[in-house]
Amino acid sequence: MNSTNRFLNRFFIFVVGLVVLAAGAALSAGALLPDVQRTISENAERAVGPTNDTIDAQPWILWVAAVVALLLILVILWFVFRQGRGHTGTLLQVDEQRTKDTPTGGRVVLDVKVAEQVLEEAIGRNPDVVAVDVTGFRIRKQSTLRLTAHARRGASPVQLRRDIEAAIHEWDGVLGTSTPVVIQIVSGLRTRLASTNRVV
Amino acid sequence: MSTPALYRRAVRRETHSPRSTLAITIAIILALVLAWLGTESVLAAIGQPALLVAPKDIVTAVLTAATAPAPLLVAIGAVAAIIGLVLIVLSLAPARQGRRGSIADRTAAVVDDRVIAQSLARVASYAGDIDPSQVSVSVGARSARVDVTPTSGRRVDQREIQQAVDAEVASYDYRPALRARVRVSSKGTVA
Repeated sequence: MNSTNRFLNRFFIFVVGLVVLAAGAALSAGALLPDVQRTISENAERAVGPTNDTIDAQPWILWVAAVVALLLILVILWFVFRQGRGHTGTLLQVDEQRTKDTPTGGRVVLDVKVAEQVLEEAIGRNPDVVAVDVTGFRIRKQSTLRLTAHARRGASPVQLRRDIEAAIHEWDGVLGTSTPVVIQIVSGLRTRLASTNRVV
Repeated sequence: MSTPALYRRAVRRETHSPRSTLAITIAIILALVLAWLGTESVLAAIGQPALLVAPKDIVTAVLTAATAPAPLLVAIGAVAAIIGLVLIVLSLAPARQGRRGSIADRTAAVVDDRVIAQSLARVASYAGDIDPSQVSVSVGARSARVDVTPTSGRRVDQREIQQAVDAEVASYDYRPALRARVRVSSKGTVA
């Protein structure tokens, strides 16, 4: 649900994999062919002296290397920290322009917390549910609720979803509009710790 | 974005792994290596002793590496190639998370396979009138296996359980759809 760029993640892993694979393949293929290894190793050894001289003569190369490393690190940090974002605390925002009847106009901001408390209270009473979490996400500029229901062991996912949808229809009535809702029915630690439902 | 498209996107994102952990791990390793290389470069540029290896020695070592004995190079190359291949496979694999989704008019839903397994186990244990601890269910990508161990000396009707489980599975509108198979163990257990 978050805005993690999944294509970028996979593309990054793919490129790193490709580079490592190519390097490894070239290394072992080159080492297996004696002619290739001899040519490369001779040329490489001949290059040792000149490269060291270049580094000694032009110390700015080291500074450039350091700056390039720093820039790459910044790119990597950006890549790491843009993972998992996209949560929002605002569910709804209604702006009213000033008109003849409403001389002041106005703005109403509704927090996700409201939906969270109402829905947790409404659905938490269901005997098939151990716990409910509600979080808000922004998907393509659209506020979306994710409702995670920790099902009691043995609860029917179909029946449970029907019950949750009924609660959401009531919530729509209270809200006066409807926002997208994604229901997640999970079985986690809280399910395992809770007892099974004896009354069916 | 219309709601069905948004729901398709949300369900897709909740049922497949973003591969974040792997990407972040690789990124951090790369960043650490780069930080070390950068530090060594600066230290060498201002004439301070190196932390581990001076940049000049790194260049020399890389250039002379080709003269190392061939078996060693082949081994290192092979290990690197395998790691690279694994990364490529991981980057292309769908990475399903053991969940299935369903999109209705008002909401989209994503259900853990574990919830489905527990539900099927309950249905099977009621239909066969056996203790829930004697039923084990494993849910795969497209099929569910229900293993029933009967109580010694009591007959268990496989067909009855199969019908009940089929009815339960038929009521699901989660995709990918499941096919259930009930198997009754030939060995009993003492309850």
